[in-house]
Amino acid sequence: MSDSQDIKFSLLVTGNPASDQSASTALQFCEAALSAGHHISGVFFYLDGVLTASHLISPASDEVNLPDRWAALATQYNFPLEVCVSASLRRGIVNETEAMQLDLQHYNLKAPFVLSGLGQLAELSASCDRLIQF
Amino acid sequence: MEKKIGIVNRQAPHGRSDAREALDLTLALSAYNESLSVFFIGDGVYQLLKKHQASRILQKDFQPMLKMFELYDIEQVYICANSLAQRNISVEQLVIKTELLSTEEIKQYLAEQDQLMSF
Repeated sequence: MSDSQDIKFSLLVTGNPASDQSASTALQFCEAALSAGHHISGVFFYLDGVLTASHLISPASDEVNLPDRWAALATQYNFPLEVCVSASLRRGIVNETEAMQLDLQHYNLKAPFVLSGLGQLAELSASCDRLIQF
Repeated sequence: MEKKIGIVNRQAPHGRSDAREALDLTLALSAYNESLSVFFIGDGVYQLLKKHQASRILQKDFQPMLKMFELYDIEQVYICANSLAQRNISVEQLVIKTELLSTEEIKQYLAEQDQLMSF
């Protein structure tokens, strides 16, 4: 495939990783797009999609661990996993900085997921050829 | 050229957080993109129906935030005339001013967007 046919995708993931198929489909889409030679500008997690960023997700050993799979893929292909901070705090997804500011005893944001604002979604929307929502 | 982004609201205002968080997203994106269009379709039209009493079901009343569309220069706000008619709601019962579109017009307007986000 020539460079001119490469597409830059940004993803908006709003599905709950434990109960919505869309969260798994998003990962499969990413894997398929990358293996076809396309680019992922970044993934923005919003609504229940932010739960994907929890370090505490522990499915049974014969089930897929979506956060692990996202983290591995994003590290391998070097694209950002942005997680909306206000949607996250509402759902108990917290990083070290927020935990300190909010005086919480624990934090659970998994690396390389990062908490960011909706401005990052605007950026991902502006910088891609196609925005796909899951 | 700036991308035309369409935000489609199809869920009832409460019961799920989609409506409330889609509104947050709309207001935030408007700071970065001046070509936003907002659509209210199906049960999404209930989001604009006056007199919500959200606190009675432990939810935040987000309707005052809808009035910020004007302040944020979000001017392309569309509502499905057919969805309103099916639910026996008149435009006088809505909290903000919107443009009434037929199903055909909505199809056409959605097709004109570069990107769609649906909630």
